Amino acid sequence: MNVVEMRGIYKYFGDFCANKEVNLTLKKGEVHALLGENGAGKSTLMNILYGLYAHDKGQILINGEEVHMESPSVAIQKGIGMVHQHFMLIPQLTVTQNVFLGMKEAGIVLNKKELDKKVADMSAKFGFNIDPGALIWQIPVGVQQKVEIIKVLMRNARILILDEPTAVLTPNEVSELFQSIKTLASEGYSIILITHKMSEVLEYTDRVTVMRLGEVIGSVEVKDTTEDELASMMVGRKVDLDRKITPQPAGAPLLQMQHLVVKNDKGLDAVKDVSFEVHAGEIVGIAGVDGNGQLELGEAIVGGRKLESGEVVLDGEPVGKKSIRYHMDKGLSHIPDDRHKKGLVLQFSVESNLMLGRQRSSLFANGFFLSTKKIEDKAAVLVEDFDVRPRDIHYLAGGLSGGNQQKVILAREVDRNPKVLLAIQPTRGLDIGAIEFVRSKLVEERNKGTAVLLISTDLDEILSLSDRILVMHGGEVMGEVSYDIPIEELGLMMAGKKRESERKGGVGA
Amino acid sequence: MIGGMVKPIDVLKSFWKPLVAILGSIVVSALLLVAFGYPVGEAFQSLWEASFKNLRVFGNMLNKASPLLFTGVAVAIGNRGSVFNIGAEGQFLLGAVAATWVGITFTGLPGPVLMVLMILAGALAGAAWAFIPGILKAKLAISEVITTIMFNYIALQLVGFLVRTVLRDRTQAEPQSYAIAEQGYLPYLIDKTKLHPGFLFGCIVAILIFILLFKSYFGYEVRAVGFNNTASKYAGISVNKTVVMTMLISGALAGMGGAFELAGGSHYLYEKISAGYGYTAIAVSVLANNNPIGVIFSSMLFGFLDTGSTAMQRSIGVSSSFADIVQGIIIIFVAVAAASRGVAKKAPAVKAAKTEKKEGQ
Repeated sequence: MNVVEMRGIYKYFGDFCANKEVNLTLKKGEVHALLGENGAGKSTLMNILYGLYAHDKGQILINGEEVHMESPSVAIQKGIGMVHQHFMLIPQLTVTQNVFLGMKEAGIVLNKKELDKKVADMSAKFGFNIDPGALIWQIPVGVQQKVEIIKVLMRNARILILDEPTAVLTPNEVSELFQSIKTLASEGYSIILITHKMSEVLEYTDRVTVMRLGEVIGSVEVKDTTEDELASMMVGRKVDLDRKITPQPAGAPLLQMQHLVVKNDKGLDAVKDVSFEVHAGEIVGIAGVDGNGQLELGEAIVGGRKLESGEVVLDGEPVGKKSIRYHMDKGLSHIPDDRHKKGLVLQFSVESNLMLGRQRSSLFANGFFLSTKKIEDKAAVLVEDFDVRPRDIHYLAGGLSGGNQQKVILAREVDRNPKVLLAIQPTRGLDIGAIEFVRSKLVEERNKGTAVLLISTDLDEILSLSDRILVMHGGEVMGEVSYDIPIEELGLMMAGKKRESERKGGVGA
Repeated sequence: MIGGMVKPIDVLKSFWKPLVAILGSIVVSALLLVAFGYPVGEAFQSLWEASFKNLRVFGNMLNKASPLLFTGVAVAIGNRGSVFNIGAEGQFLLGAVAATWVGITFTGLPGPVLMVLMILAGALAGAAWAFIPGILKAKLAISEVITTIMFNYIALQLVGFLVRTVLRDRTQAEPQSYAIAEQGYLPYLIDKTKLHPGFLFGCIVAILIFILLFKSYFGYEVRAVGFNNTASKYAGISVNKTVVMTMLISGALAGMGGAFELAGGSHYLYEKISAGYGYTAIAVSVLANNNPIGVIFSSMLFGFLDTGSTAMQRSIGVSSSFADIVQGIIIIFVAVAAASRGVAKKAPAVKAAKTEKKEGQ
């Protein structure tokens, strides 16, 4: 039985057609993936289903009956619930308070015990393991997400829309989340999962609808399809994320860590006695679960975090006590983990972001004054070379898609002709086309003789790009491995098991 | 941000909002005047004539706008760099104090030299007064909002102390300082008016600050830090240095405003030399979307309303609080227009400047 049927949906934003003749069916008890690149129209479609947008043409049927989705309250009444990509929780309140926020059913005087119990019951039922009394800001992101789901379930939703639910989760949290989703499906809930990650689709969902440029390319049973087929449906051409690293002799060590110790914001040791080298013409990948000191390591390398002890040597010169500026001038480029916070000034145009960090250089300025012509000329070349869309250098960076924002950063950093390129989570949250592009640029840099240090929690990425792989856990390097290591062994190292050979001494230097 | 062509349609769009705002405020004010039984025509006539009847009153209006122009630009550059300088009031006062001191100390100097010295001293004093909150923000992350407000109180009390003790002119009944040396009085620009060069200078300064902010790498850094100091830090910009520099420039501008007011207007120091100019400056700047060139026009609007409301009170006996209400209505309408303009996506700087031009006229 189809619990949701969307027929011939059209949605225009001005002249732009975000959804064109879209058909979608959701069966009872299925996990249905809505797959597509950023901007393919997935979220628009789901916002229509949830009553946030009004569609211009087409029909929506819920349980066989036509419904006019005028507002989310209609959707909720019809048993549809949506968990947004950005959580809508109040950090200072408890789980229970968040769940019942705005629900008339909770009554005027809140019975804390009773409500807590309701949350605890529901949590137990789906294996969520949530403490109803915990404050939101104190619990991990993965658990916050479950609170969002409980919020929706508590409003009697039978149809769940999850918008990119895994974007912020660690691999463990991802598998836990999908465990819960399976349980929900087996209880008769129907789930739509908006995603652009094919691995999730293949591993956890029953059926998939692929969208591209506002249109549905097709709906297929997951068991009848392959990653390659999905990728080409999604992107419209063949996509190749296979390993393309051909062996090449490594050059001089351009980046060296010597017994590095760094503290995190809480004042605890985040990086403990880490030593390694990155040579010219190689990509060294640092694998590890998020929060094991990689971020602090990266910040220490760029000069943004104080070294407790040890030294960072850049192109033969100790730079551990130098400013970020000095590191940059010595030939370090940096793709930060958080492009909104650390990488871009979102309120600036693309051209202004392309000169960020080089605004004093004669490339962009004549002495004290900026040269509009120089800036525009350079920016025009860079957006062309790095395929930034739209090709409008005056476009605000904040209005670009994630992939294009990352291309702007990449363009800026690569254009500086770095000796060392530090890339932290360079493809997080990007669509497949952008991932392909960013990765190929990193390889290109490596082939040109740049020393590339890649810090990523995405194992596929590490395995497909690295010449050598270091595994970090609890602030220490567990060992060095090659890309063809069995994944189970790598998993064990990421969980804290040291390699035999590493127990005796350090790695590298 | 830099350059960027302005399409004719955008210019057209920027016309009607302020126009509607001004019309709306006139209508609402008129209704209020009628409701309270005042003659609408006369009220508006006196409001208008207070600034535009002849050159003399026009000069007075510009003189009123002058301190707001300096403090407004001071606040604007601060806001661009996310340095919320609430302390323009104190910096303005310190500028006036420094100018007074120079003006009554170096009485032997020729006029032009003395004038330049007074203005420079004002700028330096304002900058110095802003430096402490600036360095506290940069080094210790102490909110400049709090420190600058506190510094305003200190400055005000300091002026009160000075005009009662060391600087006091005992021949006067009210506590006030000696007048500065007469050759140091700023000249009047137009015959039969008291228009001193403050406003004109302020316009030049506003344009220079605009160029600094939008056409120089330093201004780029100020704005980058203002929007996102983390990204700026990772781009190798020294955030602390930029914050302190922004504060210094902001303070210097406000201080200069104080010096012009003293050397061009009162010629002596007294406690009420600032009619809250540093605070009104926040509204002046926000109204202009923190655009220095826009501040020229918004400061004129405030000057116009200020002289106008007094005139309204005088000519038809509208109580001064009612005049303030009319002033408030106009400001709210213009502010709404300004805010809805802020949504505009591209080339905000250029567009804002165009819009303000219409508002001011």
